[in-house]
Amino acid sequence: MWSQESKFTYETFRKKHKLIFIFFIFLFICISIRLFYLQIIKGNKYKIIAEKQAFYNIPEFAARGTIYSKDNIILVNDKFSYVILYHSSDNKRHHLRQIIKELKKILKRDIKLIATKKNMNGNTFIKLLDNLTLEEMFKIQEKMENLKGIFVTKKPHRIYYFPESTSHIIGYTNKIRVDEIKYLSRQVYKIEDYVGRCGIEQTYDKYLRGEDGGWYTKINAKRNLLKSLKYISPKKGSNIYSTIDLNLQQIAYNALKRIGVTVKGAVVVIDVKTGAIRVLVSYPGFDTNKIGHKDFLNSLNKQNFSFFNRALQGLYAPGSLFKIITFATIMDTSNINILEKIVECNGSFKLGNRHYLCWNKHGHGKLNIINAMSRSCNIYFYKLGLDVGIKNLEKYAKKFYLGQKTGIDLPNEKNGFISNSELKKSKLKIKWHKGDTTIFAIGQGAILVTPLQMACMIANIANKGICHTPYIVEKILDSTGKEIYKHKIETNKKIILSNKTWEFLNKALLETVEKGTGLKAKLNNIKIAGKTGTAQNSHGKDHGWFISYGPADNPEIAIAVIVENGGSSGISAVPIAKKIYETYFNV
Amino acid sequence: MTFFQHFISKIDLCLVFSVLVLIFVGFITIYSATYGSYYKNSLKYISIQLIAFIIGFVCFLFFVNFDYQYYKNSYKIIYIISLIILLSVLLFGSIKRGTKGWFNFSFFYFQPIEITKIMFILSFASFIDIKSTEIKKMSFFISVAGMIFGHLLFIMMQPDFSSTLFYLPVSLIFLFIIGVEFFYILCIVIFGILSILVMFFKIFLDMYFKTFDIRTFCVDIIDFCKTGRNAFYMIFTILFSIFLIWLFLYKSKFRFPIIYIVILCSTVFFGCIASLHIENSLRNYQKKRLITFLNPEIDPKGFGYNIIQSKIAIGSGKLFGKGLKKGTQTQLGFLPEQHTDFIFSVICEEGGWIMSQSTLILYFLMIWRSFVIAKTARDRYGSLVALGLATMFTFYVIINVGMVMGIVPVIGVPLPFVSYGGSSIISSLCAVGILCSINGKSVYINKSKIRIPY
Repeated sequence: MWSQESKFTYETFRKKHKLIFIFFIFLFICISIRLFYLQIIKGNKYKIIAEKQAFYNIPEFAARGTIYSKDNIILVNDKFSYVILYHSSDNKRHHLRQIIKELKKILKRDIKLIATKKNMNGNTFIKLLDNLTLEEMFKIQEKMENLKGIFVTKKPHRIYYFPESTSHIIGYTNKIRVDEIKYLSRQVYKIEDYVGRCGIEQTYDKYLRGEDGGWYTKINAKRNLLKSLKYISPKKGSNIYSTIDLNLQQIAYNALKRIGVTVKGAVVVIDVKTGAIRVLVSYPGFDTNKIGHKDFLNSLNKQNFSFFNRALQGLYAPGSLFKIITFATIMDTSNINILEKIVECNGSFKLGNRHYLCWNKHGHGKLNIINAMSRSCNIYFYKLGLDVGIKNLEKYAKKFYLGQKTGIDLPNEKNGFISNSELKKSKLKIKWHKGDTTIFAIGQGAILVTPLQMACMIANIANKGICHTPYIVEKILDSTGKEIYKHKIETNKKIILSNKTWEFLNKALLETVEKGTGLKAKLNNIKIAGKTGTAQNSHGKDHGWFISYGPADNPEIAIAVIVENGGSSGISAVPIAKKIYETYFNV
Repeated sequence: MTFFQHFISKIDLCLVFSVLVLIFVGFITIYSATYGSYYKNSLKYISIQLIAFIIGFVCFLFFVNFDYQYYKNSYKIIYIISLIILLSVLLFGSIKRGTKGWFNFSFFYFQPIEITKIMFILSFASFIDIKSTEIKKMSFFISVAGMIFGHLLFIMMQPDFSSTLFYLPVSLIFLFIIGVEFFYILCIVIFGILSILVMFFKIFLDMYFKTFDIRTFCVDIIDFCKTGRNAFYMIFTILFSIFLIWLFLYKSKFRFPIIYIVILCSTVFFGCIASLHIENSLRNYQKKRLITFLNPEIDPKGFGYNIIQSKIAIGSGKLFGKGLKKGTQTQLGFLPEQHTDFIFSVICEEGGWIMSQSTLILYFLMIWRSFVIAKTARDRYGSLVALGLATMFTFYVIINVGMVMGIVPVIGVPLPFVSYGGSSIISSLCAVGILCSINGKSVYINKSKIRIPY
């Protein structure tokens, strides 16, 4: 109560006083809610952050797993070099100089400081020496008492023993990019980590990478080391046993190499019974040991597109290989006895105003379907292809799983491409001409396949329609020797054709090697069945194809070979396949 | 009745109790905050704080027994003294953390601005109390503005941005109590907000919308306004359109004097001009630091560091805290300014939610008692001073606690009674002494010794 002012003034004051007080209560409640939110609701999150930033891990990187070939030859493993780190908690310069002097005495060589002066002021860890050998490390370990504040850590280096021939299967590793960490953050990657690129290194990265160890230390805000808490030794990654037959792989690679310096091509060998990849070569390869070196890019420029895995990513027209599908379509859809249907080939075929040529200008004369296949006559398949129609051809191409990924456990596989007459009609508003069908029947025009797809296709034919998904990793053992992964043979796909078709198809393919275009692959005592192909290439010489399997009566392996710009397949591709068969069957 | 009994009867026990507990909490926290590996010198800090507390307590005893009516009658002298102090610190003071606001007494630094704030409350309350009948006159407004800007001018010359913010809520509360029309208070609020906001708008755009087109658009408009003639055209257009709107409203039987519109527009105009001056007086890093609280993650190692670390410290305390001297954020030095501005984070980390919420409740108790004192005061002057001091404490607590929790920009405001700092604790104890002296003169105490409950 005020003694001097009027009662009315006091009453209005009381009202305003109350209002202000309520406002202040409101402010306090706001602050309290925020406090409750931070400490009780978000408490756990902040506690973890607080614990994290008070710890510092001097990492010791774990070795990645070893990769073996089929016959247990080491394809790649890790070797160690040693790194010396220095940390002084009181940041005394002369102490560091003393240590460097001491180290020079021990190693008897000049030491170049890797750390800059800027780093030295930061009072954190300084990298003194890099790439020390084992002996040097032992010398230093002996005199550890004189060298206070020094840490020795191991640093693994990946060594590829067959760098060029297996480069595309195995891949390589390099440091993870900062932007990748963001979307891989659910996994356990961190900065400075190495991550697998291409090949097995990429697909099986989570198995191959080990668990990094190191010294866990407590630090303060200035990153001074307060105390070491514990040491965790790094755990090596799991070992991978691949299906690769190293001997065949190298023979295939060298066979391609021998053709010429500028040659490009791919070879795929598949185990028919299981779908295991025995050989997967893409030429040219690259030296995986040199990744990260300065001169690596220079060497890469000379060889065009060597990073490109032609076996999985190279898209080519199948050429005459497609006649296999046309053959199966004709056999399967026609009612009459197709063997009696004879077509005379005189070198060209007229449809409308255009002439479609056979590769043999003089013509093959009278042919039934088997002869047409073995001699790869275009005219026969033009005519019969037109009869069965584009719808059936497309249906059968899909039946043979063209235009689909094979599902191999290697990254970046391409789909391939099959034209779609319906699509062309609707999208481009261009009519599907009969001429398109004739070209389609011999595998030119709107159709693209990868060498791996062709290898799978011929393996499926050898199996009489049973499809195995191709794979490259047999099993994975972890560092203690426990089996943590084993490949299961998958046969969920099947090509359904009549028995008669299979029989004649095999017969036709056998005759192709015995008498026809694939004569150069013929072996003395083992029967090989196959089909040659020439993919027309508008940019240069044609690509030579050869796909085959053997032995014909009880198939073991299937091979697909492509030589870019190799011209006629008989000269370029067939001898490579022959060489592989010779090695495989020891003849 | 002995002197002691007389003294006890004068003071508000609840108020003094909560203040003493807060000071005790402050001692423990300063001890813990300066104990760790980062400072390693807690004895020095504790002893200085203890000396300051003893000086403050002597001041407290003095002010309790000093009749506050003297301030009322000599408000001119108090105001002039406060100006002299501010001027002398500009002339003879020494620079610390970029602010020329410290007297260097060889063994400790004293920040006189803390005292002048209380002097401002005393003289300003007295002035508006005496002139309460003239609040509608122009001269009253000019004098009020003059009093406020007199102080602000000297403080901006130091420059001490955080202290200038204190004048806004205190003078607003005073004007509101004395019965100034709500419209004018609104104008002051708009003025205050504009003078700060316009400046920050560009920095905000710079920092947050680096990739957006909207940024360049807004920056263009601001640059456009800055070039004199264009701004003039623009303001003229706006004024004209406002006039048209008023005219329209006036015609449609919604009548109010045009003077409101004019005042509103001029507030906006002067607010924008003031913002330019504030922008010039602040350094770039200060502006960025002020704005970073909205999203500290933008610059986690630079301007956002304080806020992020403080939030981590507060959150990691959880319900029961990590225990005295065991907080990792505090002891390992991650928390910045942990014994001064960010001391509340230390309480949160080591004492947990229980301790921090109790501290807030203690502050609330203290402010509640100040409000009770304001209500039971013998005259309007006493009520005004008590309310002004309560506002001052509330402002400090809310801004400081809000700042460490990342909901208020980082401005260097100490937490009263708890933060390390002699000037802060001495002036706060003086303020408590004045509150008690007002309480001692209350009619209820002197006549019947019965207190009315709130």
